[in-house]
Amino acid sequence: MSAIEVGTAIPSWTMERVDPQRMKTMAAILRDPYEVHWDHEAVRPLGFDRVINQGPLNLSYVANMLMAWQGASCIRRLNVRFTTPVFEGDQLVARGTVTGLEQVDGELRATCDVHLDRGDEAVLVGTSIIVVDEAVSQ
Amino acid sequence: MSDADLHALVGHRFPGGTRTIEHWENWLLTDCTGADQLGDDLVHPIALFHVPIQGAGTSIADLFELCGAQGAGSVGLDGYDWEYFAPLREGVEYRVEGSVTEVERTVSDQTGRIADRFVYAIEMTDPDGVLTARITNHWRIRR
Repeated sequence: MSAIEVGTAIPSWTMERVDPQRMKTMAAILRDPYEVHWDHEAVRPLGFDRVINQGPLNLSYVANMLMAWQGASCIRRLNVRFTTPVFEGDQLVARGTVTGLEQVDGELRATCDVHLDRGDEAVLVGTSIIVVDEAVSQ
Repeated sequence: MSDADLHALVGHRFPGGTRTIEHWENWLLTDCTGADQLGDDLVHPIALFHVPIQGAGTSIADLFELCGAQGAGSVGLDGYDWEYFAPLREGVEYRVEGSVTEVERTVSDQTGRIADRFVYAIEMTDPDGVLTARITNHWRIRR
């Protein structure tokens, strides 16, 4: 693994196709009554023909990117905002860049700019704080 | 909902309660995200959406009712700020407490349409009373 420093790009994580079946399972787990996530009839009056992915699922792709890079318990903070809806069938790519490194409570933490992209459009932007492996940082 | 009714929501406390994340629930949740299962009883970090809400003794439906959301397209997500002080684990009974912390009414200059910012915060503590996680969720309610 190469050194981690300010400017290091986090390896991207891709959701090849947002699956409406997963949205249905997610709606049941969340006990989410908002029909735009599972009923096509509910989104047509809004001018859409595809159901809308849950916000937590959009954020999960960013979390998956961070965990794939620095381990399943690396995340200390996720602070994001959602810029536009994500729809069934979309392909999404989570990306990020290290913007800061500091020692906190005996662990090395990286602040990262993160975003979730649909093509060249960011559908989620924000920052994350994660614990990184000191052995590969500078 | 009147402006006064909206601002009266600030300080509203949820009933509070406890919440244990079961293995089956975490497995399905993780599967929905497209990730491999995490192992070691670790809960996928995205559980910080529904677990605090349910653990605090409320629900998404209750929150919609509280903030007066009506119909498809009326609720938008502005953002989340989630802090993890320790990894969440399956089988641990967490204490969960929270409240509505901020509201703000905005009126579009172009359309005159009202949209209300609705913010709530919830904390989870482990059985030893140690703060495990804190969420602050920002919703936008279109009137």
